[in-house]
Amino acid sequence: MTGENYHRLNGEWMTPRRRFLSALYGGRVDKVPAMTLSSVITLEAMEIADAAFPEAHLDAEKMARLAATAHENLGLDTIMPVFHSQLEADALDAATWWGTKDNWPAVSDHVLTDPDDFKVPSDYLERRSFKAVLGAIRLLRKRYPDVGIVGKVYGAWSVGFHMVGIENFLIDTILDPDKIHRYLEALLPASLASAHAQLEAGADAIMWCDHANRELVSPETYRDFLLEMHQEIQAEIGGPSILHCCGETTDRIEYFAEAGWDCFHFESQVDPVKAKEIARDRLSLFGNINNPTTLFSGTYEDCYEACMTVLNSGVQGVAPEGSVPLGTKMEVLAALADSARDYSNAHRPGGRFVAHDPPAANGDG
Amino acid sequence: MVQLSGIANATIRAEIEEFLERPEEIERNVELFSRASPAMQDIAAALIEGDAQTVDRLTAEALADGVHALEIMDDGLIAGMGIVGIKFREGYVFVPEVLVSARAMKAGMAHIEPILAASGVEPIGKVIMGTVQGDLHDIGKNLCIMMLRGGGFTVIDLGVNTSPDEFLAAVKDSEARLVGMSALLTTTMPNMARTVEAFKDAGLRDQVWFMVGGAPVTPEFGEEVGADGYGKDALACVALAKQLSLRVRG
Repeated sequence: MTGENYHRLNGEWMTPRRRFLSALYGGRVDKVPAMTLSSVITLEAMEIADAAFPEAHLDAEKMARLAATAHENLGLDTIMPVFHSQLEADALDAATWWGTKDNWPAVSDHVLTDPDDFKVPSDYLERRSFKAVLGAIRLLRKRYPDVGIVGKVYGAWSVGFHMVGIENFLIDTILDPDKIHRYLEALLPASLASAHAQLEAGADAIMWCDHANRELVSPETYRDFLLEMHQEIQAEIGGPSILHCCGETTDRIEYFAEAGWDCFHFESQVDPVKAKEIARDRLSLFGNINNPTTLFSGTYEDCYEACMTVLNSGVQGVAPEGSVPLGTKMEVLAALADSARDYSNAHRPGGRFVAHDPPAANGDG
Repeated sequence: MVQLSGIANATIRAEIEEFLERPEEIERNVELFSRASPAMQDIAAALIEGDAQTVDRLTAEALADGVHALEIMDDGLIAGMGIVGIKFREGYVFVPEVLVSARAMKAGMAHIEPILAASGVEPIGKVIMGTVQGDLHDIGKNLCIMMLRGGGFTVIDLGVNTSPDEFLAAVKDSEARLVGMSALLTTTMPNMARTVEAFKDAGLRDQVWFMVGGAPVTPEFGEEVGADGYGKDALACVALAKQLSLRVRG
């Protein structure tokens, strides 16, 4: 790296993209990345970008502009344009309510009652939800070559919730487990196709969401229905993989590590110290700033303090635990990047996250 | 003191022995099942095991044998669901198991509800329940509703994606004084506050009691949005509704 480039990066020797990817694999970084993995879109961001929900869900240009506020206005190392969770389900004909400016989209009707009836449509990746997301990723890749672009996929389990209905799906894990296995096998190609398409469009990594958290199911349910499938798909996703699972997951992080995920994006119900103890160096950890209390209702200082606490636990990156409420203030979210910067500076040089001294500004380094 | 051995049904005995830890809960359940007839214990056991067909059959048989509908509901269905609720709270079972038991309870209640309605049994209160706007998740809300109905409440179910205006209209139409709001998503939790605000704006805030719940909801968040109480699960929801309905009456 030349001195000139070093100055271009404002005293940092990694681009946000490189920093994000290195942290994802538990590697060297110049500072801890602060990221969006789920949505950090707020009503304020919609005003700034002149791109609002619900139009931004189905318009690539608006989606890209809105997503970019994560980097442009919050200083985050990543951009994640898949704000909603309907990407796959909408393209598979589940009815979608696209929400309003201040409300999130949701699946409004479930369409699947028998796994044998399911087939991925031939024009799956050309459908409206994919057109917007893949278009947005292409635009973002072109506009932000140095920023990490995160794709988001709902795995077969979570697409199953959307297609079958969560209640019916969960009941059959008890009454007809074979049917659930068949659902998962049938739906998996749709999730993998989504991952491949987003990576091909320019995403650097895929966040794979399968919601098998303690608030819903036992760790044994994850083991019995998903562990083997997740192990098998690691080679098939085609890029760096981040698992996201909502809620309390401490009792299944061991399984997530066994599954071979590169990274786990975890929520605030999980104690980061405990998570780190279980994950060790087998699984990087990104998380887990609380949405309702810290980000939505809290102050900049609350967020800053929460970030410092999670960074002190040794996780590889800091991020909100999940999609932030739309009324969250951007001045509070600004503490994510500020805390990561200050934490890293406090540990420079030779700190845990800083493997190299910055090169000399005159270009000798 | 009543002994565990006084319970005829082996499944019920094993459930109490294996899964109940709090002394007061052990005592209450041993007492409850000891005085319940073997037929009621069998209904409770089938419900705990999630066997809807057996619950359906045993409930119909008990009614045909002249057992009062209220006795079947209290000593069979609700008693069994009480054990399931405790196991859920303690992490021995998870949502799928609770849903399967809930389905069994529903099979039994299908026989009981028309009889109770026809006999004019007075509800202990009326509750409006809904998942807040933008949120289409209803498992938790539906479990609460089932337990509330089992607990003697009349419930008006507004379903999912319920706007503040819909909550307001339901209160005006029904004169219910208890309003339960559920949210599964951290993105939709703020809509609880919006609903409370809408009641303030309409000048109705002091006429209702708000209960909140849902996986990401905490007691602190409930307090922050101006709710009157928080329930961690369906059992807690019923306890809270009973507590608040006393205030309503007072």
